[in-house]
Amino acid sequence: MELFNNIVLGFSTAMSPENLMYGFLGVFLGTMIGVLPGLGPVATISILLPITFTLQPEAALIMLAGIYYGAAYGGSTTAILVNLPGESSSVVTAIDGNQMARRGKAGLALATAALSSFIAGTLATILIAVMAPALAEVALQFGPADYFSLMLFGLIAAVILANGSVVKAIGMIMLGVLLGTMGTDVSTGAQRFTFGVAEFGDGLDFAVIAMGMFGLGETISNLSRKESQSDVMGEVRGLWPTWKEIKSFLAPALRGTALGSCLGMLPGGGPVLASFSAYALEKKISRKPGEFGKGAIEGVAGPEAANNAAAQTAFIPMLTLGLPSSAVMALMIGALMMQGIAPGPQLLNSNAELFWGLIASMWIGNAMLVILNLPLIGIWVKLLSVPYRLLYPAILLICCIGVYSLNASALDVIVATFFGFMGYVFVRLRCEPAPLLLGFILGPMIEENLRRALLISHGSPTVFFDRSISLTFLILSVLLLAIMIAPAIRTKREIAFQEEA
Amino acid sequence: MITKRTFTAGLLGGVFALAAGIAAPKVVLAQDASNYPNQPIQIIVPFAPGGASDFAARLLQNRLAEILGQQVVIVNRDGAAGNIGMGLAARAKPDGYTLFLGNVGTVSINPHLFSDLKVKPLEDFIPISIVADTPGLLISRPDFPAKDAKEFVEYVKQNPGKVNFASPGTGSVNRLEMESLALEQGLKMTHIPYKGGAGPAAADVMGGHVDVMFVTIATAINNVKAGRLKALAVTTKERVPSLPDLPTMMEQGLTTRPSSSWQGILVPAGTPKPIVDKIHSAVVETMKDKTIHERMAASGVLAVSSPSPAAFTDYIKADSQQWSSVIQKGNIKAD
Repeated sequence: MELFNNIVLGFSTAMSPENLMYGFLGVFLGTMIGVLPGLGPVATISILLPITFTLQPEAALIMLAGIYYGAAYGGSTTAILVNLPGESSSVVTAIDGNQMARRGKAGLALATAALSSFIAGTLATILIAVMAPALAEVALQFGPADYFSLMLFGLIAAVILANGSVVKAIGMIMLGVLLGTMGTDVSTGAQRFTFGVAEFGDGLDFAVIAMGMFGLGETISNLSRKESQSDVMGEVRGLWPTWKEIKSFLAPALRGTALGSCLGMLPGGGPVLASFSAYALEKKISRKPGEFGKGAIEGVAGPEAANNAAAQTAFIPMLTLGLPSSAVMALMIGALMMQGIAPGPQLLNSNAELFWGLIASMWIGNAMLVILNLPLIGIWVKLLSVPYRLLYPAILLICCIGVYSLNASALDVIVATFFGFMGYVFVRLRCEPAPLLLGFILGPMIEENLRRALLISHGSPTVFFDRSISLTFLILSVLLLAIMIAPAIRTKREIAFQEEA
Repeated sequence: MITKRTFTAGLLGGVFALAAGIAAPKVVLAQDASNYPNQPIQIIVPFAPGGASDFAARLLQNRLAEILGQQVVIVNRDGAAGNIGMGLAARAKPDGYTLFLGNVGTVSINPHLFSDLKVKPLEDFIPISIVADTPGLLISRPDFPAKDAKEFVEYVKQNPGKVNFASPGTGSVNRLEMESLALEQGLKMTHIPYKGGAGPAAADVMGGHVDVMFVTIATAINNVKAGRLKALAVTTKERVPSLPDLPTMMEQGLTTRPSSSWQGILVPAGTPKPIVDKIHSAVVETMKDKTIHERMAASGVLAVSSPSPAAFTDYIKADSQQWSSVIQKGNIKAD
């Protein structure tokens, strides 16, 4: 009954008019910045951090949390409509979401994203309420060796992301890994591929590459395609999905939620890794993998559910141990410290109202997002009827503004432009950008954890086989490789490829 | 849509204004301190929001603005271990409208680590006052076979090369604290560097993956109290009130010098003396604020100030000297 009392306490905190208002403000702002490419939750939260100083701790945290998961949610809107991921976690949504939009199902894609996110948000909230402390223990069990094996598994799974040639997909992953080596080496502090530019000392920013490859590259290639706009618009039919459609995305949404909940707790990966792996999972188990990349509804539901679930379970290490698993969580801890609340395991008891209020607000916030976004879908879809001669320059401008706003750095805009041209070249070569981005995210983490694991074991590679978590992922990796190399699957993939060509 | 555009425009306006302020050419004008300040003041924080430096800056922001009667704006320019923000601040117009929130890393350590660093903190800045002082803790995994720092040193001596220590980065003060101890006591350990703040490193100590580390008290204290981490010693001269039973490194006879992570305010060299004095007295006044003390104390951070700019300069010189010798003796390199 303690849990019940806690939940009542949580809801009574989160439902107070003031907290409700800040919660709404948070998800509203979050949705807006999610729609705006580049400007992400980290930048927004840091801008708003001083304002929270004067609020009650509950209101402050509820608002900041709303911005965070609101952004993960809003980022999918532009990804679906104009193939421009507003947030890193919606890169995957762009793959099939935008294809759905091109086939006149923009409304359905947006509704799928909204409802999948809501399902994930609800389940992840329950998960946090019931087992947050227990889950934190599991997260602590993950050592560097285990991370290495998990990431390796993810990298192999990234090949599945590709719709076309496996060789090209591997090439793109490797290119991403290489791009990820730029910056200061964690183990030695050496500057790698920085060309003497201090700004490259921290490597390239994910958003800069994503904006360039997707936003700019896509726009250039669209212009060369001379596609008539009516094709893209198609007919926009009823927005609310039919029961049959809901049934088709329910299972992927649940699988995405499970996967996202697990990955969200682990530092580093979070929502991005969750959405990539959910997509790979859906494609692998689908009976019609050929449809992926051409507007498969599962390819929207799975990743959207996963990134939302992960955005929420990322709070677990922060709330139960006071340890941030991402830059956003570090900001939340900063916000708490400003309030004179030191984060740590005592938070659960010493600030029960805050702890449970935040959890309850997550569910309320998710409900608000659906209420806020479903009516907006009609308006968003109309955006597609904006003539290209206006839409494209607007996208270019918004991309540049978004990239600039990341670090107030003109260099970032130049780098994004470079990747814009690269993106165009890749489109012409039929190479897909998604595997490159996953390689870019996972590459540095794999390297870091590999070196760390070997440092800890004093050079003995058996550390990867001695630990059961690590061993499990290595076995899974081998199995995955076997499945991919198996001839039957390969034929299937070739058929799919021929169909597409 | 309208709201979104306005929101964006507002943000951009701010960004452009700040960028313009940073890029302004360095022109030294004879300033009359009597009308200073008559425009908003920016504090450049060379780290991302949410970290220890940002925490200190934002805590003093409102009170400092109240005392100076002008808005105080915080500009986070992170990157390259704080060197990017420090470079920007050093090149800013020395008119008292750009303050730099320096810390032990940027001001005392980086000049000795980065051979190509153009900024020379003691030449390019005038130190104003220290504002925050955070003690360090020597922590270990809960099941580590040592109950204090002395036993820890004995253990490492008996098991040379077997003990791993974590740090929040190759050039971090926490790493140098361990290197310093290792040099003084002749210990052999393996360094396991992390990135992304002390959180991930502390999590791996908590999970038992790494044996020990030095970490700021703010990161570890509640997990120490909850028994998830073992504290072996504190790096300050005297014991800290939040952990009264924890002996210091000095009283266990392991080192002769205290160490800590500190933050302080500096201004670009060339700032007129009357303005320097005015900022100094405003900062000292700010740091007397009770709320600031309370909020910092909740995380184990001490709200402090320097009696004069000269005193802070001497403090930095001694601190810089201390880390310089550890870096040289330990042959530690960042590039």
